Amino acid sequence: MALSARLLALRRSPVLLKLPPYLSALCILVGLGWLLILPLNEYSRQTYISENAILPGQVHTYFGGSEHNVFRAYRQEVYGLSERSDHERIAGLGSVMREQGLKVANQSYSWHVAGEEISGTNVSGLLKGPRADATEAMVLMAAWRNFEGEINYSGVALALTLARYFKRWSIWSKDILVLISEDSTYGPEAWVSAYHTTSIVPTASRNISSLPIKAGALQGAVALDYPAGPWGQRFDKLDIAYDGINGALPNLDLFNTAVQVASSQMGIGCSLHNLKDHSDSYKDRLKTISKGLITQSVGHATGPHSAFMPYHVDAITLKTIGDGWHDEMTLGRTTESLFRSINNLLEHLHQSFFFYVLMNTNRFVSIGNYLPAAMIIAGSFSISALALWVQSGKPTPSEGTKPMRPGEKRKQPGMTVVKDGKNVALVPKEDLEVVERKMFIPAAVVLGVHLAGFIPLYLLNHVDRSNLPYTFITLTAATVILPQYLARHFLSNLPPQQICTIQSLSLLLLGATLSTLSTLNFSLAFLLGLLCSPLSFVRPLPSLRFSLEQSTRYVSVDDAAGIAANLAVVGPISVMFVAVSPPVVLWVVKGMFFGSAGAEGMLVEMARGWVAQGVWTGAVIWGVWWPVWVVGGSVLWSGCWRRPADDE
Amino acid sequence: MRLSTLLTLPAALLPLIYAKEQHSYTEHLHLKPLPDNSLYAGFTFTSTTPYTAYASNHFRYFPRSLAQILQYTHTAELHLRFALGRWDEESWGSRPRRGSREGGNGVELWAWMDADAEEGWSDLVNSLSGLFCASLNFVDSGKTTRPVLSFEPEGTLEELQETRNGTGELRLLHGMLPHEVVCTENLTPFLKLLPCKGKAGISSLLDGHKLFDANWQTMAVDVRPICSTGGDCILEIQQTVDMVLDIERSMRPRESPIPRPLPIKDITCDETKGYNGHDTCYPEGPGGEMGWSLSSVFGRPIRGSCALGGGEEEEGFDITLKVPSERTVEVISETAIPQSTSSGSRAYRLPKDANFDLDLPHQALESSSSGAFALEQPPLYASRQLTGHGAERGGMHTLLRNPHPYAQRIVYLESLPWFLRPYMHTLELSGAGGKMEKMFYTPLLDRQRGTHLELLIEIQPRSTVEITYDFEKAILRYTEYPPDANRGFDIPAAVIRVLPNNATQDQGQGRDYYLRTTSLLLPLPTPDFSMPYNVIILTSTVIALGFGSIFNLLVRSFVLVEEVPVGALAGVVWRLKDGVARVRGMLKGGGVGKEDDGGGVVKKGEVVVGGEVRKVNGGGGGGGKKDT
Repeated sequence: MALSARLLALRRSPVLLKLPPYLSALCILVGLGWLLILPLNEYSRQTYISENAILPGQVHTYFGGSEHNVFRAYRQEVYGLSERSDHERIAGLGSVMREQGLKVANQSYSWHVAGEEISGTNVSGLLKGPRADATEAMVLMAAWRNFEGEINYSGVALALTLARYFKRWSIWSKDILVLISEDSTYGPEAWVSAYHTTSIVPTASRNISSLPIKAGALQGAVALDYPAGPWGQRFDKLDIAYDGINGALPNLDLFNTAVQVASSQMGIGCSLHNLKDHSDSYKDRLKTISKGLITQSVGHATGPHSAFMPYHVDAITLKTIGDGWHDEMTLGRTTESLFRSINNLLEHLHQSFFFYVLMNTNRFVSIGNYLPAAMIIAGSFSISALALWVQSGKPTPSEGTKPMRPGEKRKQPGMTVVKDGKNVALVPKEDLEVVERKMFIPAAVVLGVHLAGFIPLYLLNHVDRSNLPYTFITLTAATVILPQYLARHFLSNLPPQQICTIQSLSLLLLGATLSTLSTLNFSLAFLLGLLCSPLSFVRPLPSLRFSLEQSTRYVSVDDAAGIAANLAVVGPISVMFVAVSPPVVLWVVKGMFFGSAGAEGMLVEMARGWVAQGVWTGAVIWGVWWPVWVVGGSVLWSGCWRRPADDE
Repeated sequence: MRLSTLLTLPAALLPLIYAKEQHSYTEHLHLKPLPDNSLYAGFTFTSTTPYTAYASNHFRYFPRSLAQILQYTHTAELHLRFALGRWDEESWGSRPRRGSREGGNGVELWAWMDADAEEGWSDLVNSLSGLFCASLNFVDSGKTTRPVLSFEPEGTLEELQETRNGTGELRLLHGMLPHEVVCTENLTPFLKLLPCKGKAGISSLLDGHKLFDANWQTMAVDVRPICSTGGDCILEIQQTVDMVLDIERSMRPRESPIPRPLPIKDITCDETKGYNGHDTCYPEGPGGEMGWSLSSVFGRPIRGSCALGGGEEEEGFDITLKVPSERTVEVISETAIPQSTSSGSRAYRLPKDANFDLDLPHQALESSSSGAFALEQPPLYASRQLTGHGAERGGMHTLLRNPHPYAQRIVYLESLPWFLRPYMHTLELSGAGGKMEKMFYTPLLDRQRGTHLELLIEIQPRSTVEITYDFEKAILRYTEYPPDANRGFDIPAAVIRVLPNNATQDQGQGRDYYLRTTSLLLPLPTPDFSMPYNVIILTSTVIALGFGSIFNLLVRSFVLVEEVPVGALAGVVWRLKDGVARVRGMLKGGGVGKEDDGGGVVKKGEVVVGGEVRKVNGGGGGGGKKDT
């Protein structure tokens, strides 16, 4: 009893009511700091193979000898095909696979995005495992053009040579599908989506033909990216691309197997995110983490493997980088060993982690250790929201806090007697009152702004490529103006209590969304949390309006000085606030990563991601971040338009 | 050429045998090279016994072990299949024996049984499970269906019932085990049912290493009664093994079965390619027919004939080889081999007590597309796939293609496990040329009965029909998951029976054609099984700690040492020990400064006696201290 009474009394503790902003700031700092300590040895772990069945690198690989001659011939063949028309190329690839005894099928696909067409044809061949029962399959991929757009001569030739070599083995317990997709993003996407559907109904933006040849449930996919030309090019390291659409990751066992086979069995060094020289220092680890954080938060495909992740098919891309002494046969043997390991699987990959952060090819952090970083940041918004909620329930502060005006009369604040056991206290009445919160308008405002977020989302995904930059410029301007407009014509007329409620609801929604999102896409939730962090501290700015009272028709000098002082506060804060608005941040991203392609390139990529790849980062930006920022801005600037005397 | 002709051979012999003696045994091997260096081999072993002898437990060639099971379980007709791999219809054409001796992947069993079928069925599957070393005992009520249209008895069951004066109707039960992996442990009991047990005759070729390295193989046991009009019945058992071997793979020596890359000199290069060079070689497909022989493909030659009883007088041939007439075939045997040659087919009779081998050398045939390689088109192409992803819902998609210029009627049978719950309202037959004529549907009961769905469909000429339906995945109880839960759950193959029609009957194919789709793997929502394990360990620890300490407090009574009463027996024991200690103390000379058995440092001048005794009998008189 005593405890609960004490806790109830604590509710009204002035200290407690002042605490939340500091608590929010602390949460954000702790969240950021949390991420920064992850690279330390104490907070990360060495990777290990969790699934016993895989047995990586335990088999002897035989790919070599005369296969090298065959490989060179296929590479020449691929080079020859690259100089012919698309039609001839597809027929040529098909005939090579048919000669090997594979069942060949073509699949055409097209998407209409931003007024453009993405189209192509995938060629896939089915190698029936001699003793397999068609229930499981694995995929060997080599996109015709790799992720950078270069022709994948050696990769395609190697996939064909391996198909021929694999055909002679009778050990396969799973079928092997050889996929030569037209490009590295949309070809695999079309293929894997058709693999899991009966027939994809053509729409205005999409036309994917169904797959005539299918095998069983896909257990794993490995893509080869080796764009060396017809005369070959030795490589230094294997870069393993692993992140999928929307930041989904393949099972860590598959990644570990690839690393183990490449580095232990074949002696090829592995790298992540193209970081060739990784000294395993704190700095390099953090760099790898942040690169992963960025690609995963963007959520776009990073290679042919990415499209497989949403279908719960674990996939990786082996990409050759650098100039070294490993040749195509070493890569072939790595792939052979990797396929033997996948072939060993008795169950779908499930033993190891699906949620992890990699900082080196052999160190990772598991979800239990990194998730708190995003959760704590998301929690900071919930704390602010709760504080604002409590504040919105309190009556408007009495005039005692403001300077007295001449001739003004004030009532005595009502006092009430509070007894707690023997103690008796006189407490201002308003401290104990809870004002009824008017919820309709705040809820309608928050909901309305969130719904309005679908307008930019729709526009940016449906406007033609040439008009995209103009749309975006308009959108940026509209984004900056919209909160001003809402503040001037709407929020400034509302009582402060309702403004408080609006902000509370908006932050509550943000906190809940981010904590949910962090379990699905940690990187996106974490970065969005950091970008939204100023929203916790937004309070209405001081007024910039003259107090036009009924009696006086002149501007007092005091007023003018006060406004000038306020302006000095409002200006920098407004600029800072605009700097963290979604469009401005996107402009910065454009400047950093899309140097040559410009805004148009970035926006087309985003539209493609949304329409063709099923990336929901766009929806999160325009449906979560943008509305929250607009509401925050409206609250911020509502103070500027408020007349000082309106407070009555 | 038709594979069905090989069945007519034993069938044609039947009346002959029947007239002479009703106990009979014949065997036959049918060999046929297929495209892509494959070889089809079909073994047929047929034995018969008169029904009267069967009823009185008198057997000659009919396997006794199986007969007794059939008698005990009142099974009139039995069909058992073990299958592995896929028949590739596009490359290999129509199925051997019109698919009548095939099963779905794994094990399939169907039988016509007497009225009290449930109990008999359970006995049957358990007995067969033991006999064939297969997990047939897992065919429980949840995996058993009663198809209506898909199967017809091959024997004359009605006449049999009359002969036996049996009452009541015979019932058909059907069960499938798609997860069962067929292997040598199933082959050995299969061979043991044969009179020559794999020691002689064509069965001597059946070697587990080769059979289970095949691209496709199926073993079948079929028992059927054949009754003549006079009321005499015989019981026939036909055991068949069909397989398609990859000639190249089968010919690898057993000592080095690893398919290492061939030396470059053994690879034929396409020299027309511009880039062809000493280190660049575009491989060319092997020209002509690959050379092979029975002993190299099967690992050994045939060890004489398995001629039993009336074998001497028989006119029949044991081996049929379907190759074009221009193909060279050498017979390797110590004795002269009776043979007959017709266009596209050669037949041989096995010698008694001498090895027999066939050798077909590598040969470039001019017209490889004619003759034996003119593949017969199958009546129907079928494929079935699961669609969708995620743990909640999925869909089934079956594609049926009729390549012929006439309409065909088919029966499509699905028996689904109970945890796959089809939404029947989504069942749809799409495609231009499909019409559903009849549907038999038995809804599932959770954990008791699976879905049974049978459709009678007419497919228009040269058209494709799609059967689709959605389903929901049930959530199992955690004890119901198998040890490899994350592998997924096998869904048995769909059985498709193509009914004969006027057009096919005109061509003399007046029988049903059966084909089965591949089985499927259904991923079900699977819990993380380490979680319950962790929870169990944690809760056990907490309970053990909490319960242990509380229990301890509750049942233990705390008393002062002096208050503990001395029991009569304990007193005697203590006195004895005390006496012993006293004596030992004396023997050790004054008992000064000595250590006792109890260990520990003892103060000078004290001797401690049996610490534990002192604890219990603390008040028992003077303690355990000896006076100094």
